[in-house]
Amino acid sequence: MIEYFFLLLGESIMVFGTLGILRFPDVYTRLHAATKCDTGGAMSILIALTIVSEASPLIRLKFLVLAFLIALINPMISHAIARGAYKHGIKPKVVVDMYAWDNP
Amino acid sequence: MSRVPFYLRERLDDVKQRVLFETYEAQKLPKWEQVVLTWIVLFSFWTIISANVKAENLLIGGLATLVISLFMYEMLTEDIRRSGHILEKILYISFFVIPQYLFIMAFRLIESNFKVAKHAVFMDINPGIVKIKTELHSNTGITILANSITLTPGTLTLDVNKKLGETYLYVHWISVETLNREKAGEKIKGDIEGWLRKIFW
Repeated sequence: MIEYFFLLLGESIMVFGTLGILRFPDVYTRLHAATKCDTGGAMSILIALTIVSEASPLIRLKFLVLAFLIALINPMISHAIARGAYKHGIKPKVVVDMYAWDNP
Repeated sequence: MSRVPFYLRERLDDVKQRVLFETYEAQKLPKWEQVVLTWIVLFSFWTIISANVKAENLLIGGLATLVISLFMYEMLTEDIRRSGHILEKILYISFFVIPQYLFIMAFRLIESNFKVAKHAVFMDINPGIVKIKTELHSNTGITILANSITLTPGTLTLDVNKKLGETYLYVHWISVETLNREKAGEKIKGDIEGWLRKIFW
């Protein structure tokens, strides 16, 4: 029963993340939605798969390795995209920009 | 010490921190402890990935990971603080630090997902890029801290600046609450930095 809860949580998180990607104004705020919602949604769907699958427990642990790799790689990719976008010259729509103060 | 003026006392504290940072090379783990820690990590990864608990499979995996960890022992463990006995360290990390970290970060991740959903529906955003200071100096510690900041609610790490033994992080904050560096650092980092400072430099 609890696997349906995890599946529903993951699906709704993914839907709201997609809504955030469509509605936010610039690259950096869209990256917020993409990073967090992809990580949380994919991890909870993987946990639901771990519970529902009927293999031996050592094989089910591979799903948890996948979840760990997603949680490790997703923030790094978002950091790389954000820094690359800033170095390329895309100005963020912000109220205060301390990164531009230090790198004029 | 008490008669030193306050502006000199700040610089004196800076120099003390610098000396501490310079002497951390002398306090690395011994070589065999690094090899043992690397071997434990690699062997558990081998066991999970191969999904086979026959004796010959475990023997081959143990030998191969031992050879690899004899070569590559510096990659994973060069930034770990030296403290106490190795068995105590292994038990402390695997039964206390990692479960606590995973538990807290899972709830912070769910909270950040709901917060993004709230921002996406109501569009009450006030973004800004702020600069915070961290007390960590090693590459592994800064990487884990930056990834944790990205997964906690409302923040995303843009860049890292290391100079003269001090480390600064530039953080994109989706709803800026304060511009003071210490208060912003407390709000953004939370307890994570304290836990990481127990293990990493």
